[in-house]
Amino acid sequence: MSDQQTQKLIEIDMRGQVCPACLLVAMDKLNRHREALKEGQERLCIKTDNREATTTIPTTARNMGYSVTVTKMDSFYQICVGRSVTESRK
Amino acid sequence: MITNSTFLMYAAGGLIGLLAGFLMHRSDYCVAGMFRDAFLFRNTFMLRSLCIQVVATMVFFEIFRTLGLLPLYPFPLLGFASAANIIGGFLFGIGMVMAGGCVVGTLYKMGAGSVISAVAFIGLLVGSAIYAEFHPLWASFVKTTQLFPSAKTLPELFGVNPIALLLPVASASTLLFIKWHKENTIIRPSEVKGYIQPWKTAVTLALLALLSYVLIGMPLGITTTYAKIAAMIESVVIPNHLSAVSFFQLTALNITHPSTGALLQGGPGPQIDSIWVIQFPLIAGIVLGSTLSALLLGEFSIQYKVPSMQIVMALSGGVLLGMASRMSAGCNVWHLMGGIPILALQSLLFLLGLVPGTWVGSKIVSRIILGAVKK
Repeated sequence: MSDQQTQKLIEIDMRGQVCPACLLVAMDKLNRHREALKEGQERLCIKTDNREATTTIPTTARNMGYSVTVTKMDSFYQICVGRSVTESRK
Repeated sequence: MITNSTFLMYAAGGLIGLLAGFLMHRSDYCVAGMFRDAFLFRNTFMLRSLCIQVVATMVFFEIFRTLGLLPLYPFPLLGFASAANIIGGFLFGIGMVMAGGCVVGTLYKMGAGSVISAVAFIGLLVGSAIYAEFHPLWASFVKTTQLFPSAKTLPELFGVNPIALLLPVASASTLLFIKWHKENTIIRPSEVKGYIQPWKTAVTLALLALLSYVLIGMPLGITTTYAKIAAMIESVVIPNHLSAVSFFQLTALNITHPSTGALLQGGPGPQIDSIWVIQFPLIAGIVLGSTLSALLLGEFSIQYKVPSMQIVMALSGGVLLGMASRMSAGCNVWHLMGGIPILALQSLLFLLGLVPGTWVGSKIVSRIILGAVKK
């Protein structure tokens, strides 16, 4: 329970933004929060409507050793990088 | 082939545009992104598809030329090479990266609901109108820097049959594509809904360019009509000024199609002429094709909350694109997907300028975007 409470979710909404803002900002966040993301203290979730980003962000993040999920939401995609505490317990 | 029927020309252009827009949305076939990502992220995946498209177009055009089905060769509206093509290509490269899409990328992104691309589209019209103002100056620069006054293509320059140059280029490229195929670098997994592998879009676009060349007499082109739309707006807002701008009085296209005997005539002015009939359906088709694709996927959405800096950047990029497409005598679609396949000198020079231009554009864009994040 304590893990779940301490994991911080970093959410960014990149919908409607110019290419390649989504990948650039995602990479910037990945680099800045590297330690916390690796240790599972933080998780990065990006909302995007850029179809290309749903391939480029996961590829980049996986190459850096993160686990990534891509979920189709309403009219956009949510890309989450890093372990989800709730998911890893299942 | 259908040039004697305005209805068929509209229908063919519209259908080609619809299919192109649909596929480009599915594959996110963004030419600006292809060059940009190669520089910014060392990611050349999409650029490989562009290479496939160029070579496929080259092969299709050459087969049909050899069969005598392309009586207009080189195609109309293709001029002589000059330093203007390099400079125009360079500015075009910067512009398309800043606008977040080239002259066609802007259309399909706008069709899927992108506000940024709609802003870039307005920029394109403004840029075309600005070019019209300094056209006389630029036209004299084009004249003084003309490079090969007797040849429009590389085969013409060397005085050889096009196949002598095209066959080695196409063969070497095919070997390279086979290598890519073996290394599994032409396709990639995608988690996105309704994804179409870009190489399939590349080959289809090559077929559409061929269809356009056979039916209408030239490959795909759209940017003269951007100038035309700008002229149409000026004719309503500032009609007196419009009639004083020499660029809008030009007749850039003036040919008789050999197989139908139809007279194809037109220019950037505000009138409905052959250029409008050829290009406008394509523009409308691309936008609608992309809208259709996005609606079918449930991905059509209009997002207004965009950083204002990005709006300014897209507008400036669009203006630059609009100006540069006239300065270089054609856009990336015209030069890369029509001119380079026949080794047109103008188009080769355009590419020579385009590559460093996209590099500069990539630097500007990443600085602006990341600068805004760090604030």
